[in-house]
Amino acid sequence: MNATAMLAAPSASRPAGRHRSLGAYAAGRLGRHLILVLFALYALAPVYLVLLASVRSEADLFSGPLSLPWPIDLSNYARTWNESGFAHYFLNSLIISTGSTVLVLLTAPLAGYAFAKLDLPRKELLFGLFLAGLVVPAPSVIVALYGNLQKLGLLDTRLGVILPQAALLLPFSVFMMRTVMQDVPKELIEAAVVDGASPLSVYFRVVLPVVRPGLMSLALIAFLFSWQEYLLPLVVIQADDLKPLTVGAATLQGRYGVDYGGIAAAGTIAFGPLVVLFLVMQRSFVRGLTAGAVK
Amino acid sequence: MTSQRTAILFVLPALVLYLAFVGLPILQVAAYSLFSWDNGSVTGFAGLSNFARLIDDSVFWTALGHNGIWVVLTLAFPLMIGLLLASILAECSPRTIRILGAIYFLPRTIPLVVAGIIWGWIYNPMFGLANWALDMVGLGALGGAWLAEPSTALYALNVVGAWTFFGFCVLIYLAAIQAIDPSLYEAAQLDGASWMKRFRFVTVPLLKPTTLFLGLYAAIEAMRFFDLVWVTTQGGPGYDTEVLTTHIYKTFFLVGDFGYAATLSVVLLAIVLTVSGVSYRLLRSA
Amino acid sequence: MKQRLKMRLVASTMLVASIVPASAETVVTQWDQFATSGITAAGPAMDELIAACEKALPGTKILRTVVPSIGIRESYRLAVSADKTPDLAYTWPAASVLAGYARTGKVAPLDAYYAKYKWDGINDFYRGRNSYKGKLYGIPMEQDLMGVYYNRDLFKKLGLEVPKTYAEFQAVAAKVKEAGYVPIAFGNRDRWPATNTLSLILGLTAGRDGEEKVLFGDASWNQPAFKQAAETLASWAKDGYFPRGFNGIGYDEANALFLGGRAAMTVTGSWVLQDMARGAKFDLGVFMLPPIAEGIPAGTMWGEGSQWQIAASAPDATKDAAAAYVDCLISPEHRQVWVEKGFLVPIGTKAEDLSGWNTLPAVKEFYAEGLKTPDTNFYDLHTTLPESVTQVLYPELQRLIGGDATPDEFLTAMQQSWTKAVANGERWQP
Repeated sequence: MNATAMLAAPSASRPAGRHRSLGAYAAGRLGRHLILVLFALYALAPVYLVLLASVRSEADLFSGPLSLPWPIDLSNYARTWNESGFAHYFLNSLIISTGSTVLVLLTAPLAGYAFAKLDLPRKELLFGLFLAGLVVPAPSVIVALYGNLQKLGLLDTRLGVILPQAALLLPFSVFMMRTVMQDVPKELIEAAVVDGASPLSVYFRVVLPVVRPGLMSLALIAFLFSWQEYLLPLVVIQADDLKPLTVGAATLQGRYGVDYGGIAAAGTIAFGPLVVLFLVMQRSFVRGLTAGAVK
Repeated sequence: MTSQRTAILFVLPALVLYLAFVGLPILQVAAYSLFSWDNGSVTGFAGLSNFARLIDDSVFWTALGHNGIWVVLTLAFPLMIGLLLASILAECSPRTIRILGAIYFLPRTIPLVVAGIIWGWIYNPMFGLANWALDMVGLGALGGAWLAEPSTALYALNVVGAWTFFGFCVLIYLAAIQAIDPSLYEAAQLDGASWMKRFRFVTVPLLKPTTLFLGLYAAIEAMRFFDLVWVTTQGGPGYDTEVLTTHIYKTFFLVGDFGYAATLSVVLLAIVLTVSGVSYRLLRSA
Repeated sequence: MKQRLKMRLVASTMLVASIVPASAETVVTQWDQFATSGITAAGPAMDELIAACEKALPGTKILRTVVPSIGIRESYRLAVSADKTPDLAYTWPAASVLAGYARTGKVAPLDAYYAKYKWDGINDFYRGRNSYKGKLYGIPMEQDLMGVYYNRDLFKKLGLEVPKTYAEFQAVAAKVKEAGYVPIAFGNRDRWPATNTLSLILGLTAGRDGEEKVLFGDASWNQPAFKQAAETLASWAKDGYFPRGFNGIGYDEANALFLGGRAAMTVTGSWVLQDMARGAKFDLGVFMLPPIAEGIPAGTMWGEGSQWQIAASAPDATKDAAAAYVDCLISPEHRQVWVEKGFLVPIGTKAEDLSGWNTLPAVKEFYAEGLKTPDTNFYDLHTTLPESVTQVLYPELQRLIGGDATPDEFLTAMQQSWTKAVANGERWQP
């Protein structure tokens, strides 16, 4: 594509654009940076708000929402963690998210590799089948899923959340893994095959090491999405000591009336680990998210 | 032949897991739609009569309209903002890119359930930040119950949806811009093209595939989102934020009319699959 | 963790029990919504009573699961659809869902148990609500009443008296508003609170007889007494009785507004009585809303909110054990435990009983007032209408009070869904 040619026609028709003063240039730059700051505030203000609410000693509904609480009070966290069961909820979120992530890592890269590099019959159809899963809304399948889990004896267990959660993540994961696997150099695989390696050992010894960054990204994204899931664990799990954080945080609303400090602390516990994880692993995250898009 | 069998074996674990916990329930739900139900029990075969009920179900049409508006709003706001921010950001230092990119994406790491609770407070008519801020600047009269008034509810909710999504758009666009050959910009600059011109005539056209991808993704999400509405308004006030998934949820769980809820699900799936199928083809030809 | 272990232990005992029927222990699985705090804070009382009743009924073992009240409607429906119905459950919203499960044969008829255990404290009104086509299916337990909580200190400060007529009530509300306070703390974001408010108003414009002509007869929602109710509720909203943005205010937040002294009254049920009595830092009073239409007798909305129900699929021995256990729970000697530790007043409890028990003065006052008029007390739409109609009532009420639907439009929408539900056989019949 010849972009200079594309550019030439319109800019020729608007010669005024060439005679911009330095002042206008600086103003434009300033304006653009203002836009950046404005949206940073949009992103951060709600987070700041909930952090403030979580350290207020006694949440006063009717005082200014931005007034800085002092002294900072951590009793909301202590209460939420110890008395409202959030120690349990946290552990359950960790187990469920890790379980689903492991399951996704065991299955999606294999499938992605087959779609990208192997001689798979009915490839287009199968891939379309996976892609179709991207559009499934959770409330639609949850009732049938519940009945099936009951028959399998998986209701009210963490495994009953982990298996469907992993399955719901597969469409995206397989899609992403196919993209990642396409970048594996063909020569590398062929060389290994010529050396007489079995398909499995090619996959484990040659392919997986090359795509390790992609696997890392997949793991992070699968973990993030599992951690955020609400409806699935809400329906599958009844026992309070098996619930994850999202369900725990949502039920707090009705249970404690207007304990905003407690709810804010609960919310912070629910998203805190993800924020930390994201900040630490930002590069991997971004690479994973953009893997499917920028191609 | 053996290589084909190997390939099948490679796909099999994912396929089995996927079909067992996603594929099978969808087929079951499709079958539900052909029966009449009472409180979660089958009472008889219904043929296509559940589908005939769609025509008279004004809530269905209202909800569908809201999903449509949500698609348009998502394409108009987070996507455009994402593109604009990414284009500005692309010219900043790597450090700024990293920090601001993280900040913009931060809301996406917050579970929607929690996001709904936080924004519920911001919009709260009694103590919310939104009204408080208006009061501060002397515009208190403009304040209201943002999520509870028909004129603002859907849009106020969309601001929350955009909040969780625009950062994702920034990151995707940013990656795409960084993949553009810098010499194109240099050439444009030599031609004396202003920032706006470079944005309009280099960035935007070259990012068309990315825009199509993001648009498709956003549209699918806009058709199937649920958590956010459920924890904030449950479709209210009245039917003003009702979407297809909340209508489905209520019909399934509260009314217990599994047949009609399944019908709504089938229709929703059919709409999204058709639209995204067509878009996917467009995307690949682009 | 301990609870899970206990459950597994019990499950293995069940296995043993099925092999050796002689020393059989009958296990009853129970779902209830009694949490340890909040609206339904009877959790500790529940545990205490389970222990007491297991002792009184050797061979019966209760396996309790607490389901948060906000999700129990959904959970129970899913469990029934997957044939996993708990043997015994305490769910809401009462008659409206019970009829559906009775209709589809998922809950067991209880007439034999009613006769055996002489549950006479449950009067005809409550028996009717828990029946379907002449058979009883539920055992109501909580005595819910609707009333007007008011801030006595604020009334005194503003020189207001408890209103004896509806005109006086309107005058009180107007004066409160003039003084810069919110007359009635009210929040309808959760969608159900307005159903109670409308029910209270409706009983005072149409009377119990007038309601029954629609609920069990052929009369239409489109009639003057019902219209007056819709108009009255809409006028409360329009005349500024409610706080700004009430459709966006949560039920708990509205209560907090009242408890914070910024509203003079709140119109809600006895289910928050304990929270109110404990949370009020002012002198808390209660009165009943006076009749609104001419010739309508005094009375208030009452109901049970939730009821015990037994799964039809449970083995007979389990059903018997469950019924005996419920009998133990609602026995006269255990009512005192419910009142004193469970913060709920069981149906059949008399105002005289309460006066001798260790409970807050506001509780005694509320029940003394509400139980004065058992013959004219009326229905709660929320727990009476079939779910398909409730799902229309919720949004239509938000529209009515928000000023987005006229009383006539509201009634037309209600009549439309009512006709459909009746045609489907969804309405419950005593």
